[in-house]
Order: sequence, then structure tokens, then C-alpha cells
Amino acid sequence: MKIKRYPFLIFMLFICMLLFGCWSKKELRDLALIIAVGIDKKDGKYISTFQVVNPGNVAGATQRGGGSTGLPVALYTSTGDTLVEASRKASKQISRIPYYAHTNLVVVGEELAKEGIQQIFDVVERNPQFRPTANIVIARKQTAKQLLSVLTPVDKIPANQMIKTLELTEMMWGENVGTRLREVIESFSLAGKEVIMSSFHVDGNRKHSDDQENVRTMEPTARLRASELAIFKRGKLVGWIGKEDARGVLWILDKIKQTVVTVDWKEEKEALSYKVVRAKTKVTAQLRNGKPIIFVTVATEGDIGETFVAIDFTDPKQIVALEKVMQQEIKAEIEKAVHVAQKKKSDIFGFGEVVHRTYPKEWKKMKKMWNDKYFPKLDVQVKVESFIRRTGLRTRSYIQ
Amino acid sequence: MERARISARQLFMLAILFEHGSAMVIPLGVDAKQDVWLAILCGMVFGVGLLFVYYRLFTYYPNLPFTSYSQRIVGPFFGKVLALIYVLYFLYISARVLRDFGELLLTFAYPETPLFILNAVMMLTVMYAVYKGIEVIARASQLFFFSLYWILMLGFVLIIIAGEIDVRRLQPILEEGWPRIFHVVFTQTLYVPFGELVVFTMIFPYLRKEEKVWKAGFLALLLSGINLAMIMGMNVAALGADIVSRSTFPLLNTIQEIRVANFLERLDVLFMIALIVGGFFKVGVFFYAGVIGVADLFALKQYQRLVYPLGISVLFLSLAIASNFAEHIKEGLRIVTIYMHVPLQMIIPIFLLLIAMVKHQKKERKGR
Repeated sequence: MKIKRYPFLIFMLFICMLLFGCWSKKELRDLALIIAVGIDKKDGKYISTFQVVNPGNVAGATQRGGGSTGLPVALYTSTGDTLVEASRKASKQISRIPYYAHTNLVVVGEELAKEGIQQIFDVVERNPQFRPTANIVIARKQTAKQLLSVLTPVDKIPANQMIKTLELTEMMWGENVGTRLREVIESFSLAGKEVIMSSFHVDGNRKHSDDQENVRTMEPTARLRASELAIFKRGKLVGWIGKEDARGVLWILDKIKQTVVTVDWKEEKEALSYKVVRAKTKVTAQLRNGKPIIFVTVATEGDIGETFVAIDFTDPKQIVALEKVMQQEIKAEIEKAVHVAQKKKSDIFGFGEVVHRTYPKEWKKMKKMWNDKYFPKLDVQVKVESFIRRTGLRTRSYIQ
Repeated sequence: MERARISARQLFMLAILFEHGSAMVIPLGVDAKQDVWLAILCGMVFGVGLLFVYYRLFTYYPNLPFTSYSQRIVGPFFGKVLALIYVLYFLYISARVLRDFGELLLTFAYPETPLFILNAVMMLTVMYAVYKGIEVIARASQLFFFSLYWILMLGFVLIIIAGEIDVRRLQPILEEGWPRIFHVVFTQTLYVPFGELVVFTMIFPYLRKEEKVWKAGFLALLLSGINLAMIMGMNVAALGADIVSRSTFPLLNTIQEIRVANFLERLDVLFMIALIVGGFFKVGVFFYAGVIGVADLFALKQYQRLVYPLGISVLFLSLAIASNFAEHIKEGLRIVTIYMHVPLQMIIPIFLLLIAMVKHQKKERKGR
């Protein structure tokens, strides 16, 4: 009898050990999946806004063809001296545990960005739930809360809509760029690189942006739109850069994947569009008389997209002439971007890091004064090589 | 010593898993900033020297573990004292690695579970493996060697596909010159993980073919050195030297960066598997060496009897050695390195080797 009982007891003990795995179990229905976090600051306190996914309504919307009753997301706001405090305090309103593993987007209000964003990233790094791959955007002329309280029609979850818009426009047009949290944190430690972030803006009437009415109309009254790039300097927003200038920044950063460059041809203004299919940028540094010079070399390859003037594309000489015009246009964009950044005294291109890598010894002297002394007067030589490979389905245009 | 035999291939795999163990996941030699991979490679080169010392000692006494031949070299009394110190060292390090392992799991995956539970589950598994003997541990290493390698390769390919590697982050090379690298080598990377191979002086005698010890040990050291350098180099190339040097587990952060085609992401589980497999073998080998050492020292026939009491001691020691993570790490980097790793991995083995050489030369002369 005695011999038989012991193995059974040990067996029972082992079964108990398996239960350790359930120590801090959390049921899915007890979690509040936070898809986006908005951060503002008012009177020295952080205001966190949480966009929480309402799973039932997201699934329902696709099944019932969009006519579901509830909203796909809910918004909660909470204040605290620190972000962790604000997050915990949110439990007063949310019935579920805030869960950050699916947070893909962090929105920072413009006011806070001007004040400085360095503080807000510590918790993001420290917390094991948070993902460093999350994107960060600035709410242009708005608070983060206002930006997060806009319902969107096609992609039901507004945060996803913003991220996908950002990805798409970066790929197709190239005036905006997605910035990951990790890149921001990394830039804080690099003396020769400042960070840029895309901003979003609410177009139209903001009054009923968070109402279901907003997505019932064909053209929503309030719409989210990617806007200028925010220039940061040591964690503080110092200026904006938009339109072609913003694209100039992306050219230098080698982030342009595809875009369209429109150029003048002879007397005709904005007459011809060039679709860039591939682009590659190289940035190198040289020291001359102890002063750094930066060389930016851009190579692009693409097709003719559209023309308003009569050009004979069968003639290679014309193509070469056109390529020259393209090069001038892209070069001008890049030079303008450099000019804007130099005026703001913020090395958003990472030229300093290029110098650091090539001349580590000399860099040590320049390091401290880089943004304020060296970068604004930096000699930047831009060289662009554009190639037009194909002209589409037609050679000459019917326009004569 | 138990009556067991392992093959050279098993020794090789066991040593590889042992070397990767916790070294793969902790911020190894990050004080060298972007040159960390160089610091690891240099550590490996000097590590080969240490391994050679252990190997030479083994060739003089191919059938004895360290705790026995230390008595032959410096006499029964001092030899026993020395053996006792080594046995305590092995058990202490196994407790340290166990604590490392528990802290890592606690920090990132099980924030609410008590440390005791995680350590206990791990230690019970280790105790079971050690109870079963070195042959079982060696066979398990054969099994896990390939799974760990697959995970490593998968992670490597994915991180490259995800486009997170930017080799420019490794530049400028030698920014602060060689002094910084050698400082890191001689305060950190030489001892952990390469010098820790001293524990294998307890395991070499089990080898079926003694002439293959050098080949297996050397290759394992070489391969794991290169692998570790690659892993840390990859961490820096993906995250930047600053984040790596501030991170508690750089490899985890690197794996979190992986994002391929919008669905291959959040592969933290790869990290978990690597951590648990590596942790198991590192704790296991140290603990086994400690247990065998005690049995050898006190001339016990069956070492199995020691497994449970010593295992429980190690478990409680792992909880008692530090009251928080910072203390634990600081102890590991400062006190343990200076007062344990340097004398026990380097000075004493070299001394023993010199004495053994002199003794053997005398013997040879007498023989003539």
C-alpha cells in the first residue's frame, strides 16, 4: 500500500507544477486592446488618450457589410503626472486591463512636441508590452486627442487608417515618412542626427468627427490627412517642412521609393511628369581644410507618366535633354530642403553621423557644436543622375 | 565520477550550448559600444589560450576530474581545499545563471510570477537531468543543438529580410582604439563565456576518445565565439550602439524589430526558446560539475544522493545572492569577475599546469 501511494503523490505534485504557467493569465475578454495612444500635456500633467478596439464591432462591420450598430473603437482619456500613472488611472473608466502589445501608433500633440518629447519614450522602452516598431506622428495644429477622435470610413479603425495612409504615401508620393519609436530614441543618442516625423491634420469640420454621422456621408465632414514633416532638434519641435521640400528630405534620407516629378519644358510650365520607379541615394563626407563637405549623390530610374507638350520620345537626344531637366528639378528640391534645415539648425539628414563614421577623430571636436555651428554653414554638393527608361504605351503624344 | 562515456560530437554540442547559454541574451561586453563584436572575438582568441591550459592539465590526468588531479598535483590537503573552492564556485555560478535566467523571464514575460516559482521549475528540470547523468545531458544537447541552430538561423534570415540591418551603425570601427576593447576583453568577455569552460575540466574525463578533446573543445569555442560576435554585431547593426548598451536583453529588442510582410512579427517566442534551452544547459553543466565534484571530494559512490539537497541549496542560493537585478548584475561584473573568474579560471589552472609539468618532467627523468 505504501509503495503504491508515493508515485501517485509525486504525480499530483507534477500536475500542480504545470499550473504555474497560468500564474498571471489574462482572458482575451478582459483585455482592452489599445491600438493608438495620444499624448498631450496641460498644466504640467500628461493627458493620455487611448483608442481602444471594440472587437465585436470590427468583426461585425465586415460581416454585415458596414451597417453595424456600434463603433469600431472607443476613446478614453486619462491624466497623470507620468504616463504610467495616466495609464493606471484609466482603469477608473475602462473595465478591462489596458494592453499595449498591439499599439501601433503614438500621436503627440503639437503643443507637447514644441515643449519637448524626450520624456515620453522612457516608458515605451522600459515596458515589455510596448513595441518599438510602433509609428509616431504629430497632430498638426491640434491636440492628439482631437486627431484620435476622428472616425474613418474605409479602414474602420482610425489608427490603422493613419498607419496605412502613411505607408502608402511614403511609397507612392514621398513627402511623408513613417518614423518608428526606436528611430526617435536612437536619434537622442546621436549628436549628428536629428529626427523627423510626419504629422496628421484633421480636414473639414471637426465638430462631429467622432460621431457615426461622420462616416455615413460619402465625403466625411472630418477627414484625416497626412501633412508636413516635423523637424525636431534635441527632442523639441522647431519647425515644419512640407511639399517638395519635404520630398527633398526623403531624397537625401534614401527613403524615396516611388514618386512623380513634374517639370517645365521650354515655355510650358509644369508640362511633363516623370514617374520614379527606383531611386538610390548615397551620402559621403570629405574634409577639406578641416571643414567637412557633404556629397549627396542621387540616382533615379523611371518612366514618362504624362505630357502636355509635343515631344518626340523616339528621339534619344530629346530623352537626354529631358533627363537633364529632371536632374535640375530634383537637385533644386534637395537643395531647398537642405536650406530649410540649415535655417532651423537641425541636422535631420544625419550628415553629422556620416562625418562621424568617416572622420571619427575630427568629429570629436565638432560633435558639441555640430547643429549650431557647423551644420548651418555646411557645404552640401548635390549630384543627381536621372534615367528615363521607358515612355509607356505610346511614343509621341497626340498633342501637337 | 559516474561510469559514463560521451562522444566527442556530444562534447562539442554540449560546449556550444553551454557557451551560447546566457551569453547570447545578456548584453555581453557592450561597454565596447559598436566594437563589441571585436571585443568578443578577442575574448575568444584569449579563451583559446585558457582552453589550452585546461586541455594540457587533462592530458596529464586523462581519467580524472579536476577535483581529483588537483590533489595529485599539490598534495592531498591543498588539493582538497582547492577542489572544495572549485566545487563551491561551480555551484555558486550555477545559482547565478539560474538567477539570470529567472530575472530575464520575469522582466519580460512573467511580470507577476514570483522569482521562486520560475527558478524552482527550472531547477527541478535541471536536477532531474543531472540525476540521470552526463550521458542524458549530452544526448539532450544533441537534440537541442539543432533546434537552437535552426532558431538562430531563422532569426538571422528574418532580420536581414526585414531590412533592419544597417552596417553603418557598426562604424566607426575602433573609435576609441584598442585600449577600450582590451579593457572589455580582460574585464568581461574573456571570462564570460569563454573562461567558463573551466567547468569542462570535470567533464573531459568522460570522453570516449581522449585525443579528440582538443578538437571538440577548440571547435566549439571557435564556433560559439564567432556566433556570439555575429549576434552582438547584429544587435548593434539593428539597434545602434546606444540602445544595445542600455538594454537588458539586446537580442530580444532585435527580434522585436522583425517585421516581414506585415504578418511575420512579434517573434519573441524565438527568444524565449533560445533563452530556456541555453539557460538549461548552462545551469545544468555547472550544477553537474558541482555535484560530481562534491561526490568525488568526499568519495561518495553514488553522486545521485547529492542531487536533491544540493539542488535545493542552489535554488535558495539563487534567490539569496542579490536583493535586486542591479545588485545581481553589479556583483557579476565586478566582484565575481575579480575574486572568482580571474583566479579560478586563469591563475590557479596556470599554476597547476606549471607544477604538473615540472612533476612530470621529474618523473620522466627518473624513468630514464
